[in-house]
Amino acid sequence: MLILGLESATAQVGCAIGGHEGVLASSHSARGKRHAENLTPAIRFVCEQARVELSEIACVAVDNGPGLFTGLRVGVASGKAIAQALRVPMIAVSSLDLLAFPLRFANRRIAAVIDARRGEVFWAFYRPVPGGVQRTTEPTVGTPEDLAADLLAQPGETLLCGDGALRYADRFDRPNLEIAGGDHAFPSARALVQLAHAKALREDWVRPHEIELLYLRKPDAEINWSTREGA
Amino acid sequence: MILPTMTPSSGGPVPVDVHTKILGIETSCDETAAAVVVGGTAVRSSVVSSQVDIHARFGGVVPEIASRAHVDLLTPVIAEALVEAGLDGPDLDAVAATYGPGLVGSLLVGVSTAKALALVWDVPFVAVNHLEAHLYAALLEDPSLELPLVVLLVSGGHTMLISMEHHGHYRLLGSTLDDAAGEAFDKVARYLGLGYPGGPAIDRIAMEGDPYAIDFPRAMKGEGLDFSFSGLKTAVVNHVRKHPDASTADVAASFQEAVVDVLVTKARRAAQQIGAKGLVLGGGVAANSQLRERFLSACVSDGVHGFLPSREMCTDNAAMVASAAWYRLGSDGPSGLDCGADPNLRLPLLTD
Ligand SMILES: [Zn+2]
Repeated sequence: MLILGLESATAQVGCAIGGHEGVLASSHSARGKRHAENLTPAIRFVCEQARVELSEIACVAVDNGPGLFTGLRVGVASGKAIAQALRVPMIAVSSLDLLAFPLRFANRRIAAVIDARRGEVFWAFYRPVPGGVQRTTEPTVGTPEDLAADLLAQPGETLLCGDGALRYADRFDRPNLEIAGGDHAFPSARALVQLAHAKALREDWVRPHEIELLYLRKPDAEINWSTREGA
Repeated sequence: MILPTMTPSSGGPVPVDVHTKILGIETSCDETAAAVVVGGTAVRSSVVSSQVDIHARFGGVVPEIASRAHVDLLTPVIAEALVEAGLDGPDLDAVAATYGPGLVGSLLVGVSTAKALALVWDVPFVAVNHLEAHLYAALLEDPSLELPLVVLLVSGGHTMLISMEHHGHYRLLGSTLDDAAGEAFDKVARYLGLGYPGGPAIDRIAMEGDPYAIDFPRAMKGEGLDFSFSGLKTAVVNHVRKHPDASTADVAASFQEAVVDVLVTKARRAAQQIGAKGLVLGGGVAANSQLRERFLSACVSDGVHGFLPSREMCTDNAAMVASAAWYRLGSDGPSGLDCGADPNLRLPLLTD
């Protein structure tokens, strides 16, 4: 079963194709915030590299957040359109899961941290389990200081990853904390295809209109509105 | 480093004819729309899902809320448009989407979706200028209109008089120096406590009022083809302050009369000036009943071929996008799959 994975939740935009043979081809670019401009040509390129026709795709996987709203929607809108046109199911995987998954051999707690801009980060904790990682907390949004306090409350060693951890590295400068290097700055479309393949084997998929985005933040107007309403 | 936004690249004209079937997608503001148009003018389906109710409580369109709604609504809207047209994706000859002007996050949902569909169905993608699409709304409904045409394009974001000399060749004859006409409607409606959107609210209450009760100023009415509406809004505020008991219906009707008077006067002047064969209305404000009535009677007395697109075609829809794409495909060809959104896109204007 061939899976097309589209990932655009951070400054990076990526696309990969794979299945039971692993990832056949992938493309990632992280320059200039040109998600919409880059993604469609990348899909065509990756298909050519993998010698796959789009009509052979059996499932479309997308990163459903949390992340930067506009970029996130470029990948999800593209993925929904492709799945609808091909009449195939979809799989949604959180950006934080994608960040943690490549660190599954780390042997300690993992904190996936994405830069949410405006002085905040999105994060979740994971523990390595055979064959992957298991999320132990719900994805959440807060300041780097909130996350630092969260980390302080937990004994043991934690490996942090993601552009949020790198950007606020000075807040996490403690002996039992380590930050994974630049290779782990962004969720990747390769990890998306790998994780989606496992889910696809369990037929753990949804139809395009059932995809839900993890925004974790209300639109500004709604925040102002609830303040005004006293709600 | 910020790279410049890519303009749609052209692969050379593609022959189009009466059988060319185009799926149009429109997500530039708060309407999620998809339509199938055959041969540039035969509307096989036109589905519009309006978010007006979602934004009403905020008194205006909230960009982030609009973008979120587009992601949820667009796929089902496209499916409905295809079913209604009785077509399957691969039957189409092209997929088109508005790529500007508009709200960037909203535009990107439509552009990304259209490019992805074009890729899967292996058909050309056409990036459409939203303003150009509005110009084609009238031609879509009345293909007998002859060029040159003068289009009065009035919406929440624009107030323009445009001459359409040939397909794709436009000249700006006049535009607003401050507020757009639709903006004036929204602001006055909000001030009068009539709610959002302001156009329909004022239209409704004005029917019970006297349009000549208050002589509001008609800025720049006497000369030229440009508009100015900010002074009118101030005049309404000043009047209500001075006469707190004034009937809201009279104020609304008199305000509307002032706007319509200026719009119709300038449109007639523009048509005369360039010897237009036709005069048409476009944009959301063109749904206003008073404007429609006065516009038509002006065309009759001037002996100009006037045409009013239906209300559905004046407000944002995807049929006009598919129609404009048909002409673009024939004259310039498809756009590149590396196309992004351009929130500040302007009409390609002739300048000589
Ligand atoms: Zn419009």
